[in-house]
Amino acid sequence: MAWIVKNSATQQIDKRDEPYLDDTLRAELEAEIIPRYPTRQAATLPVLHALQHKHHWLPHQALAEAAGFLGLHPSEVLDTATFYEDFRLQPMGQYLIMVCQSLSCELMGHTSLVDALRDKLGIEPGGTTDDGRFTLLTVECLGSCGTAPCALVNETLHESLTIENLDKVLNELP
Amino acid sequence: MSLQEPVLCQRIPTWPWGDPADRHLIGLDEYLSTGGYAALDKALAMQPTEVIAAVKESELRGRGGAGFPAGMKWGFLPPEDGKQRFLTVNADESEPGTFKDRLLLDFDPHLLLEGIAICMHACRLDTAYIYIRGEYHAQAKTLQKAVDESYKHNVFGENSKLGRINDRAPQCYVHRGAGAYICGEETALLESLEGKRGWPRNKPPFPAIAGAFARPTIINNVETLAIVPAIIDRGPAWFKSMGKDRPEGAPPAVPASFGPKLYGISGHVNRPGVYEDDLGIKVSTLIETHGQGMRGGKKFKGAIPGGISMGILGPDQYDAELDFDIGKKYGCLGLGTAGVIVMDEDTDMVAVARNICRFFSHESCGQCTPCREGTGWMYKLLTRIEAGGGTSKDIDLLLELSGSMGSMPGTTICGLADGANWAVRTIVNKFRADFEAKVRKKPHSRLRVLPVGVG
Repeated sequence: MAWIVKNSATQQIDKRDEPYLDDTLRAELEAEIIPRYPTRQAATLPVLHALQHKHHWLPHQALAEAAGFLGLHPSEVLDTATFYEDFRLQPMGQYLIMVCQSLSCELMGHTSLVDALRDKLGIEPGGTTDDGRFTLLTVECLGSCGTAPCALVNETLHESLTIENLDKVLNELP
Repeated sequence: MSLQEPVLCQRIPTWPWGDPADRHLIGLDEYLSTGGYAALDKALAMQPTEVIAAVKESELRGRGGAGFPAGMKWGFLPPEDGKQRFLTVNADESEPGTFKDRLLLDFDPHLLLEGIAICMHACRLDTAYIYIRGEYHAQAKTLQKAVDESYKHNVFGENSKLGRINDRAPQCYVHRGAGAYICGEETALLESLEGKRGWPRNKPPFPAIAGAFARPTIINNVETLAIVPAIIDRGPAWFKSMGKDRPEGAPPAVPASFGPKLYGISGHVNRPGVYEDDLGIKVSTLIETHGQGMRGGKKFKGAIPGGISMGILGPDQYDAELDFDIGKKYGCLGLGTAGVIVMDEDTDMVAVARNICRFFSHESCGQCTPCREGTGWMYKLLTRIEAGGGTSKDIDLLLELSGSMGSMPGTTICGLADGANWAVRTIVNKFRADFEAKVRKKPHSRLRVLPVGVG
């Protein structure tokens, strides 16, 4: 739920010496993204996307670095980052399986997919396997209603899924 | 099938003109060799006001859900003052049942870019942002590639054939959202574009006066802009020869439904997908001809006309016409995006309502209390009814709740809660028997009635 406040007050923030927003990325964003917008704040989403694409999730340190880069207070970036479903504020498994649970997918039987994944991976939606390979999530509409049910595995959409071909997709992952 | 030739799908093989298996991405070269960007050249030879007048005359209505006349929207812009003015393209297609814009983004992105360029010329807008939903990873990449090609072809950029607008080189950027349905609401989209949480703004001021970065901004849906080149190319009269006129003698206030439209059909049909046809075709035609009938030969129970926020059509409304007047005639909110979800006789309508409420409670931005609390409350009530723990009072409570939240009762800023309440109200009213069958008539009593004379 987008509007639920995350537990930031009591959270320990892990710090590392090496920056998440390194000089190469910084230069690239400065040249490519910043000139597109009249304000630096408007680059928040593209910057967070770039950071998440690189690190697979958004540690607090990365958000703070993004804030510095954008000339904002860290809380402003946190405010934006917590609102959006796509931004992962906890570490995720190597492969993020997002099964669509919206109406067309439910009519076409997404529950059997979720049940099959639950059995196969031994986790509930929201959980990550012990080896850190898979995270299972149920999400709202992925815009693939005509080819329901569907699931997004990291950035790849798989459509017209059955238990068998979803199994095949997962087994073929590197 | 009444549409003679495909318009939006002219380069995308779609039934009955082509085989979807032949679909491929139309790159710049193929787009140009099939008459692409000719409408832009034609528009550039016209005065900006003439372009707006042509779109106004065509009575093109927005294809993103609200159906607002596009030409009128363009006419709301204040006179130029030499500072930046924006076009934001709403490609945040996230409502369950809607997957029509994706077809254009997947296969014919230049059609959208041509529409964008024409709109920028007509409305004197110098910067366009295409706000595409975060989940459309592949589409964002395709679109970015097309934008790069269009820069090389001097549609945008320093040497743009649009010339300088507001003393700036016209620019077009792809901006990715991050998984928030509410950002499809126009003012939430602007907030999100500015790098903030997607909280809808109070209107007025309307975006045409103070939109993105507090500057005049036009917001149009992908399909709306993609139809503009055809209107310029072939004229408003041609456009009005398709679709459906307002009933004879009706005042101009009654919406007319001209032009072609992309219909998405999903759910319990044999051939789901996106099809193009005249506005105003019947749900029965869409199911039987385009969708090749109900799956497994089952009976039709209900259909959602266009994205789950629009309410539902009951079994007796199988022949409802999908036009902009559908709301008044058939007791639902409107045509929406024309992403029809079809349900067969085995569908449990309580589960449908529960699914819809979960969606809205999950996607509520949380800004207005009636929506934030109300959608969650309805979801809980429906979960309870579905599990067999509800009472008949719960049904009345559902109706009361849904009647009191939304921008129409005037308790919220935007229309998200209206979507939830129309869905719930129409489902409960049209399928009350499904709900009655699941609830207990009376609440359980802890007091046992003992027979007389015991003890």
